[in-house]
Amino acid sequence: MGEAQKGLLSVIEKLKGSTEQEVRIVLLGLDNAGKTTLLKSLASEDVNTITPTQGFNIKSVASHGMKLNVWDIGGQRKIRPFWKKYLENTDLLIYVIDSADKKRFEETGLELSELIDEENLKGVPVLIFANKQDLATASPASEIAEGLNLHTYRDREWQIQACSAVSGEGVQDGMNWICNNIVNKKK
Amino acid sequence: MAEDDSEWVIESIVGYLGSPEWVIPVTDFMENKCTVFDDEDENKLSYTEIHAQYKKLVEKLLDNYMQEVGINEQQFLDACTSPFAKSKTLQSVFQPVLATDDFQMFRSLMVQKNMELQLQALRVIKERNGALPECLTDGVDVMAELQEQEMKILQEVLKKSKEEYDEEMCRRMRSEEEVGSTSSSCSDKPVSESREAHNAMTAPSQHGNTAKVSSKPTKKEESKTAAAGSAAKSSSTSKPKPDSGSNGVESRVLPAVRAPVKSSEPSASLIPESTRQSSSSSQSTAEVWLEEAHREAGFTKPFVELTTSQQEELQQRATYLRQQRDKLHALKKEQQKSKHTTTPVESPATTTTTNTIPEISAEEKKKLQKRKHLADKLKEEVIKK
Repeated sequence: MGEAQKGLLSVIEKLKGSTEQEVRIVLLGLDNAGKTTLLKSLASEDVNTITPTQGFNIKSVASHGMKLNVWDIGGQRKIRPFWKKYLENTDLLIYVIDSADKKRFEETGLELSELIDEENLKGVPVLIFANKQDLATASPASEIAEGLNLHTYRDREWQIQACSAVSGEGVQDGMNWICNNIVNKKK
Repeated sequence: MAEDDSEWVIESIVGYLGSPEWVIPVTDFMENKCTVFDDEDENKLSYTEIHAQYKKLVEKLLDNYMQEVGINEQQFLDACTSPFAKSKTLQSVFQPVLATDDFQMFRSLMVQKNMELQLQALRVIKERNGALPECLTDGVDVMAELQEQEMKILQEVLKKSKEEYDEEMCRRMRSEEEVGSTSSSCSDKPVSESREAHNAMTAPSQHGNTAKVSSKPTKKEESKTAAAGSAAKSSSTSKPKPDSGSNGVESRVLPAVRAPVKSSEPSASLIPESTRQSSSSSQSTAEVWLEEAHREAGFTKPFVELTTSQQEELQQRATYLRQQRDKLHALKKEQQKSKHTTTPVESPATTTTTNTIPEISAEEKKKLQKRKHLADKLKEEVIKK
């Protein structure tokens, strides 16, 4: 029965029959990391009126001939248990870190490693945005990568990208990596 | 051959997607679950849960359908991807199916459904109340306005019921006159009948309830009982205290919005009945009513934030009030007619209309007597208690 259902779902999936390649991206990270700001800056929207996300946001961005459906899910502690529900069929994970919030590096590292262990994210490429580089107290991306032990990831593609979601600096570089990576992977 | 195949399959699928078997459960689901879907940019976590439930529902429905018709998933897919299925008209038919895979589409369907329901509710209110209360038109949440609206409704009900009562009294007088004019034709108990009528004339406030019963032959026994009971109560205590008044008021004053637990039907039917009490007490009960309503109106929700069931109840009440008003209009018309007839009756000359009346009134009088008897009995019982 379970198989039949899965079959039906895939049938419906195929029904959409869009010519565009669709990519499902999940955008996660601790609260106040800047996920929604990043999402809005990706969608070229105003980033000045953002409040803590209680639920989730979705934006579809066209890039490199692909349609990127980006799901930004709230990062508050009480919402994090819900992350799991959004990981199915994910093509790519973007993890956002507040580079200036050194006190929570450990916490964010734990959350990331839990995600990496999720069955639904097995082998899924990860892009880490070392956000808030516009702040003077921000740690450099290399330092964060070391703290997160990114070099130990062997089962997937990964990349860390310094950026500032507010100014937009570095965001496009990250997106380019995503597109190149997805294209490579899907081909 | 394969094309033919997919053609009948697609026709069957489209037929199914338009059939009650599909439409009813899917629409039910949407109508039940759409209330949390607003058009805010941010999605609520609950949307995901609802979407998952929706997926399950659609899968179940389609599974059943495919088994019934005997097509497999490949045929289903082939049919749905055929050029015939790609036409614009069919795309909209497939939308609810595609929404299982496309959260954004699902969300927009749900938001749309929610808006539709809200607009429907607004339209109904507008139709029934004549105009939308201001708090619903400009989107400003003003509970005071809602309160005001409730007060207006209440006042209108009171006014109308007073009118109705007066009309009833007029009727009563008229029927008394008829008794006089028909006493020769119905020789059963002309004496007792006329005496009864006389009774009613001399003590109109006490027998007010019998009078009104006579004009409401269709009213349920229950409501009569209640009306008689409350009438008796208020006539026994000439000036009802607020708490004794609120006894009935609590259940009777606009139960819909703020007291969804209470059943609105029976209590709503009490409104006009009990207001048609003797005019002396109706004045004081009116005050109690309004006071009570005012106090109870301490609920603080704009209409749009009420649950659907509350909205429905509000609508029910609006319908009810409207029906009452229509009844009153009909009564008024009748009364105007009767005025024409009563004037000639005073002089012994009989017109064509008075000729027709005795036949009915003879019948009616029997009924009237029965009812009166019943009401008196009830009254006695209540007073004894």
